[in-house]
Amino acid sequence: MQSEIRHNPDFAVIRVQFDQPGEQVVAESGAMVARDTAVTMETNMRGGLGSALKRKLLGGESIFQNTFTCTQPGQTVWIAPAPEGAIQEMDLQPGQELFLQSGAYLASGPGIHLDTKWQGAKGFFSGEGLFLLRAHGQGKLWFSSYGGIHAVDIGQQYHGYICDTSHMVAFTQGLQYNINKIGGLKSLFLSGEGLVCTFQGQGRLWMQTRNPGALASFLQPFRPVQHSS
Amino acid sequence: MQVNVLYRPSQTVAQVWLQPNESLMAESGAMMGMSTNVDMQTQSGGLLKGLKRMFGGESFFRNTFTAQGGQGEVLLTTPLCGDMVVLEVGARQWYLQNSAFIASSTTVDVSTQGSLKGMFAGAGLFVLGTQGQGQIVVGSFGAIEPVTVNGQMVIDTGHLVAWDANLQYNIGKATKSGWIASWLSGEGLVCHFQGQGQVYVQSRNAQEYGSMVGRMLPPAQG
Repeated sequence: MQSEIRHNPDFAVIRVQFDQPGEQVVAESGAMVARDTAVTMETNMRGGLGSALKRKLLGGESIFQNTFTCTQPGQTVWIAPAPEGAIQEMDLQPGQELFLQSGAYLASGPGIHLDTKWQGAKGFFSGEGLFLLRAHGQGKLWFSSYGGIHAVDIGQQYHGYICDTSHMVAFTQGLQYNINKIGGLKSLFLSGEGLVCTFQGQGRLWMQTRNPGALASFLQPFRPVQHSS
Repeated sequence: MQVNVLYRPSQTVAQVWLQPNESLMAESGAMMGMSTNVDMQTQSGGLLKGLKRMFGGESFFRNTFTAQGGQGEVLLTTPLCGDMVVLEVGARQWYLQNSAFIASSTTVDVSTQGSLKGMFAGAGLFVLGTQGQGQIVVGSFGAIEPVTVNGQMVIDTGHLVAWDANLQYNIGKATKSGWIASWLSGEGLVCHFQGQGQVYVQSRNAQEYGSMVGRMLPPAQG
């Protein structure tokens, strides 16, 4: 199986070309752009109902995922996320873990497992969904962003990094984080900066260069107003 | 401060590197990430200045970021998709459309222009002016098109990003034949420039975009 990410960082799409019959790619429901007719598509709740519901309710992902299976060498599938932005590919090895912000998961090989991870009380205040999605297993995984994806290596380039929670996309195991406010007491309410995640340890952090909440706030005043009679 | 402009032209981010103890001033809400040795303080720079800024369509408060105990990094971004440019301030001063401001060196003062012309130019356009020496980072909605004015030029106010303060500008209606014709033309208010200098225009108009998408959204309860 070969894959290529095209049109990064503005309008990224994954093009997967299968080599062997039986090769599979799993994608978020609604993410398929195109496929060869003979590629079979099967919709299921991966990991059973309980696991799927947890992913939906807690991880912000859809209940159903689609599995695309190759039937003949050379077949192709294209997969894309909903918002404009970038896609990042990651090759997970056994024992590695990747944590994803809810909604960031796009697609993966069949050997990747997803579950939700309770962030504890610190997640409660983040307003970004209480749970992170935890990916582990072996194979390729793709996640997407709203805007470009900017990676930071903590422990090498930087001793630590602070990231606005609404810009956080994913991070590798080996990083510890805290959710907090920056600045003094005055900044708590007035800085216009939301909550931040402070990362320490050793690993990679990916951030998105735009944030959907900011777009929504921009559009809010343009909504028509319905006067209650 | 050194500014690296990344992911141009649509998903642009300004990666600013600060020397030890160096500071930058940024528009409230623009910070996407930063190294842990950067300290953020929120200031209004005085009640009057803050009020004037708020009146000018900006935030009441601005944030100052300072690198402590070594070099620091701050990533700055904009709410809408678009580009950024870094402008040198000193020999040349600039005027900005209010929402274009992202960040400045602390040695540059960026303030709302006090004249009635600036404050009430209409069409949501408020003009900011620079003073001092250093750099400013300005952002756009859409791509940035540099336009050199030599003589005269008319530019839609909704597409303005920044312009050389040497240029004379006048905000008025788009046509000579009266307000109704101007309104019907859909061009609303325009800026008449005169002189020699650089203007940066943005290829999209945030107000137009907002009205186009906004009217498709479910109504807010009034």
